[in-house]
Amino acid sequence: MAHSLDHETYKQQVRSVWVATVWLSVITVVEVVAALLWLYVIDPEGKMSKLLLNGFFIVASLLKAYFIVGEFMHVRYERRALALTILVPLVFLIWFLIAFVWEGAEWQNNRKVWNALPDIPAAHQHHDAGHGGDHGHDGGKH
Amino acid sequence: MATVHTTSPINPTTEAEAWDGGGSPFNVSYGKLMMWYFLVSDAFTFSALLISYGTIRASSQVWADPNHVFNAMPFLHGWDAPLGFVSIMTFILILSSVFVVRAVQEGHMMNKKGVVFWMFLGILGGAAFLGCQAWEWHHLITGYEHGHGMTLYSNTFGAPNSFGQLFFLITGFHGFHVLSGVVFNIIVCVQAAMGVYERRGHYEMVEKIGLYWHFVDLVWVFVFLAFYLL
Repeated sequence: MAHSLDHETYKQQVRSVWVATVWLSVITVVEVVAALLWLYVIDPEGKMSKLLLNGFFIVASLLKAYFIVGEFMHVRYERRALALTILVPLVFLIWFLIAFVWEGAEWQNNRKVWNALPDIPAAHQHHDAGHGGDHGHDGGKH
Repeated sequence: MATVHTTSPINPTTEAEAWDGGGSPFNVSYGKLMMWYFLVSDAFTFSALLISYGTIRASSQVWADPNHVFNAMPFLHGWDAPLGFVSIMTFILILSSVFVVRAVQEGHMMNKKGVVFWMFLGILGGAAFLGCQAWEWHHLITGYEHGHGMTLYSNTFGAPNSFGQLFFLITGFHGFHVLSGVVFNIIVCVQAAMGVYERRGHYEMVEKIGLYWHFVDLVWVFVFLAFYLL
């Protein structure tokens, strides 16, 4: 069988893969430098909100994902229908992420509220054990 | 229309025409399409793991600081090098992925020697990554680098035990993907060297296993994000 690529296309694809490699390496280095700068220079005492830094990390990771999926996994060069059938189901992950992390934050909030009221949980537990237990107040009910 | 028996990609003239049947509208073979669908399902598995990590972390009032947890470096005992070692691991995995892309491209050119050469480098990269991960797990479990570490039931970072459990579960699940990927890469490399794909007339198997290997690299980007950066 003959080559499935002509020589020009081959040379061009090899070049774009090395370009993607440089991008991936540079983004990773910038991420680590940003983390270290934040740790040692910008906020050594760890008092500031990390919202900006974390936002940068997420955007940088998505950019890396674009290079890996688009260039290495060749999705950029595939038929549009194939790219869509792979990528569209991943839209569900957006809601998956928001819903679950939201729920997690709500749990933390509940824990804080719970801890701020130390007496009520204890009394409540005692009350529950009295009625739920097998031997508790059986005599009184009959 | 004649039945297509070949496993190599089929090429209908236009995309619209392809939906009329007789060819693949996606312009890929059955095997490659199924590899893609497997990877989509695997992406959901990893997403579920990473999102549960996010959920449990969000629900906890204290958590570990990655700059403090991941600060050890092999051969540099006692050094405080936040994110140093994991950056090397990340770079190794990216390079390994690149080597396998090169193997796929040489496969398109029917260059057997090129495929075997780049595939071999890819295998070395994967094995190096596994070695790094073994070292990292070992020093964290035994705590011999900085006297800090974690197991499934304890950690020295003041974080809930779920921190160690999620770390070992998720990096372990990813590491198992790397391990199986290295095994597949070895099989492909040996088969390429034996001339199996040359006789078959195409190197599509290199592409399919390559997709899996890049996916492992892709997952690492998000494991790196969740555990080491955020």
